[in-house]
Amino acid sequence: MKSNKLNFVWKDSRLRSKLLGYHLTDGWIYRSAVYLLLVAIAYVFLYPLLRMLSMTFMSTADLINPEIDWVPQNWSLTNLRVAWSVMDMPGTIFNSLWYSGTLALAQTFVSAMTGFAFARYQFKFKNFWFMMVLLSFVIPVPLVLIPRWMMFITVQNTTGIKLIGTIFPQLMMSIAGQGVYSAILILIFFNFFKMIPVSLDEAARIDGATSWQVFYHIILKMSVPTIATVFLFSFVWNYNESYITSTFVRSAMKLMPLQLSLFDSIFERMSANVPGAPGGQFRLNESFKMAATLITMAPMMIMYLFVQRQFVEGIEKTGITGE
Amino acid sequence: MKQRKNRPSRQYLKQQNRAGYMFFMPWLIGFLVFTLFPFIYTIYLSFHKVNLNVLGWTTIFNGIDNYVTAFLRNPDFTPALIQFFLTELIYVPTILIISFILALLLNGKFKFRTVFRIIYFLPVIVISGSVMNQLMSSGNVQVGNVRRIFVYQIIESYSPELADVIVFLFNNFALVLWFTGIPIVLFLSGLQKINTALYEAAQIDGATSWQILWKITMPIIRPIVLVAAVFTVVSLGMFPINPVYGMIQNAIFDTVGGLGVASSYAWIYSLTILLLIAMIYVVLKDHSKDEYVINIRQQQAERQLKQVKRDQRRNKLHGLLLKKAGEKHEEQ
Repeated sequence: MKSNKLNFVWKDSRLRSKLLGYHLTDGWIYRSAVYLLLVAIAYVFLYPLLRMLSMTFMSTADLINPEIDWVPQNWSLTNLRVAWSVMDMPGTIFNSLWYSGTLALAQTFVSAMTGFAFARYQFKFKNFWFMMVLLSFVIPVPLVLIPRWMMFITVQNTTGIKLIGTIFPQLMMSIAGQGVYSAILILIFFNFFKMIPVSLDEAARIDGATSWQVFYHIILKMSVPTIATVFLFSFVWNYNESYITSTFVRSAMKLMPLQLSLFDSIFERMSANVPGAPGGQFRLNESFKMAATLITMAPMMIMYLFVQRQFVEGIEKTGITGE
Repeated sequence: MKQRKNRPSRQYLKQQNRAGYMFFMPWLIGFLVFTLFPFIYTIYLSFHKVNLNVLGWTTIFNGIDNYVTAFLRNPDFTPALIQFFLTELIYVPTILIISFILALLLNGKFKFRTVFRIIYFLPVIVISGSVMNQLMSSGNVQVGNVRRIFVYQIIESYSPELADVIVFLFNNFALVLWFTGIPIVLFLSGLQKINTALYEAAQIDGATSWQILWKITMPIIRPIVLVAAVFTVVSLGMFPINPVYGMIQNAIFDTVGGLGVASSYAWIYSLTILLLIAMIYVVLKDHSKDEYVINIRQQQAERQLKQVKRDQRRNKLHGLLLKKAGEKHEEQ
């Protein structure tokens, strides 16, 4: 009897409804479990970045000291300064920004054109070509990289125009819609353009607009947010791309990810020339590497701080998922 | 005349075709020159010895010699390829499951939802080959040591192979999570498109949330799983966690083996990736639709067969009747 009474009290009590809720998902227990899980996973997500930040500001003594785990005892900016000079900094950053910016511009424009063609026109073999767009995403880059490289070498040797080591090979690929993840950009535009009502086009047509005028004055002007999203994605992907770039540019131009991948060897070379450097100070260690990594990431992270909404909502809004 | 009115005129079609190809032309040219031609030419190259001299590129046929080099003469290639294949097999399901769970958690309404989403999407922005290389080489992707956990030791004592897999997964756990950025967004947008009336109907009928997850959410989200899986395979293939990728690049600039060997590497590597994608397609393809179609076709066929039989029977009967009638007629 007693337990029954207790049970009755418990069942109607405020505490229960707060802890467990009317539905499972309303209660405190469920909510705090979800928060705990989310925070734990976020910690693992950020762990490499946090380690990187902590190591960047450690002095050499802190790095060796086993007692120091996260917070440096002697904060030092030496690592950052050294990494800054080893990576040949202000120059490299500007190189990288205009390089990926140019490629992203070309890629965005061509993706918009291709997406427009697919969204608005009925041309022959349209479905076949659409399959090809999807397929071109799946084809691994190394497979097509070798003949591309041979082509550019041939053109360079026959015409005498310097191509390898400049932006032109990648710019040509971007203009031809074969840049980094081009298929996804085309899909984003395709899905967005399909949502714009055709009656707008028709109205302009009746007023005597040509296809290009429709494309520019109606479609492009209506989809400025989508263009911004695609440009940002393309910019980030081109900035972070190091495989194709390292094949076509090699070390002719100083770009951020390439400098980072060559960081160890450049550091060795430069530290050998430091006159009268005290023994341990200029030996390569994790702190220098992490400082360089931080510098490489910094531009993109700063950009992300300001335009994170475009990124997070960008993919969702444009619906790659709606096949 | 009536039919012609509904159909678009020939001139209109012609104009559509021309305008379509006009906008489509840059991509088409690029596809033919930079993707289709290289795709075929790499196959050709992989059976040849390639040299660069004063005359340009020269190719000499040498059979399967490049493939022999890849599999037998180069001691690093085959193990690297196997490692890559296993990595993908372990990582892709893990990434998909984790990102699906995260998407489910993020789908609800609660405080700081945007903050979590921003954090989970951050890796997409900063991830790049060289950054990952540096982070891995300085040991910053390893969150804790699995070998110290008690459960792990139990598993190890039962099956060392499984334990190896677990160690492999946990040593790069932060990295695995970094690849969930885009799948999470894909799943989230899929989840938000599901009509809530479906959930309500199921709840009224007394379904538990576990049943709802498996019977409603999963089937609807299935096509997105396919997209996310393919995306994961492709993006995993582009990062230095796979040693084959760098090997191909080194082979391009290697003067001894030359481009022939490099293209045979590239071709083997690509076949592996395409094989993985084909596997994913077979596993995740929507079979239910096929079964539905097959069922309908079977029913149709059965109905037709019945009809034919009925007709035959009727004809037979008819014939018999006619015959009898004729006999009667003759008798009279």
